[in-house]
Amino acid sequence: MTCDEARLLIGADPGATTPELEEHLATCAACARFREEMRALDAEIRRALERPPDTVRPRSGRPSRTWRQWALAASVVLASFAVLAVWLLRPSDTLAREVVAHVQAEPESWLATQHVSAQDIGQALRGAGVALDVTSDRVMYAQSCWFRGHYVPHLVIQTARGPATVLILRHEQVRARRSFHEAGMTGLIIPAEHGSIAVLTRGAGDPADIAGHMQHEVHWLPDAR
Amino acid sequence: MRNSEPGSPVSSIGGRVPAADAGAPITRLFESMRPELLRFAHWLARDRAIAEDIVQEALLRAWRSRDALKDLGAARPWLLTIVRREHARLYERKRLELVSLDEVVETPASPRFPEPGGELFALRHAIMRLPIEYREPLVLQVMGGFSTEEIARELALSATAVLTRLFRARNKLRVIYGLTAAPDAAAPESLP
Repeated sequence: MTCDEARLLIGADPGATTPELEEHLATCAACARFREEMRALDAEIRRALERPPDTVRPRSGRPSRTWRQWALAASVVLASFAVLAVWLLRPSDTLAREVVAHVQAEPESWLATQHVSAQDIGQALRGAGVALDVTSDRVMYAQSCWFRGHYVPHLVIQTARGPATVLILRHEQVRARRSFHEAGMTGLIIPAEHGSIAVLTRGAGDPADIAGHMQHEVHWLPDAR
Repeated sequence: MRNSEPGSPVSSIGGRVPAADAGAPITRLFESMRPELLRFAHWLARDRAIAEDIVQEALLRAWRSRDALKDLGAARPWLLTIVRREHARLYERKRLELVSLDEVVETPASPRFPEPGGELFALRHAIMRLPIEYREPLVLQVMGGFSTEEIARELALSATAVLTRLFRARNKLRVIYGLTAAPDAAAPESLP
């Protein structure tokens, strides 16, 4: 069996096996590694298909009367909410709310007890157009997360007053710093050289301190997509 | 919503199924399969409303042909096959408006199913964006548990063509998963 034949079989069905394939894998480390990768990918594909796609699709054509009535009612409600949001300047702010929701959706991030390797931090920063001065012994969690249409670094940094979550948001511009408190977390979003940085803490941690440090420790690289 | 026959699993949506039929094993079996069939149809059609129509029609067909199902243990692949054919039929018959991928947006993590990380979301989106000729065999294999030969029969393709499509589907997803795409080892597709 050639490598091409082996990879075709593995790619078509990573879980399948034949004597010829096993014989080839026993002597070809590259194909054996390819199968490991494809099996890991297949496990993720299974997870991905475990629930239906949450799709929304705007309907084409002339809106129905009912739709227009709902739209009118919704616009009134939305306008009220917008006024309220501006007035309160709290987590009803969309970006802040989505930051909180994102962190809530990854509760395991707060529980990490192992330091993340420099390589994994590099993976989390990959494609985000930033470099970091933070040493890996302070980083307990590092992921590249899909947030508002972009991959953003999601880090949990150990501080003297507990863990702090940091999201580096190159594509989110804010005019001024915004503080909020929600779901037991205290948060701060600050403008940065490019985009913004969001910091969330639980308990005694002060996001302002950490955000101040992060402003110096995050380096924005040119020509990021 | 389409018409349904009294006593069929479809009519049970409206609560019109007679008590005797509602308790029939095959009716209960069909109803218990409905969520999985809907998920399967949704991944094929990429549209919830169309998927519901497909499942509705498929269950109605299954009910009419229930005598053909000799072994209730084989109901799952039998129903999945009917759903797949109904999906293909619906597009052929109605020439349904294709779902524009620019318009379809996957909502990021509903409260019921929080996403543990961004990669899974990206992978789901990538699966949804696969062309139907790649998505269909992949969903049949991964969700439906169909073998290469079964998929080949169902799609009227050669086994080699199915292998090629499955290889290419996964190869496209490798990149989303952060791996480099493998060289395309697949030969051009041959006829069945």
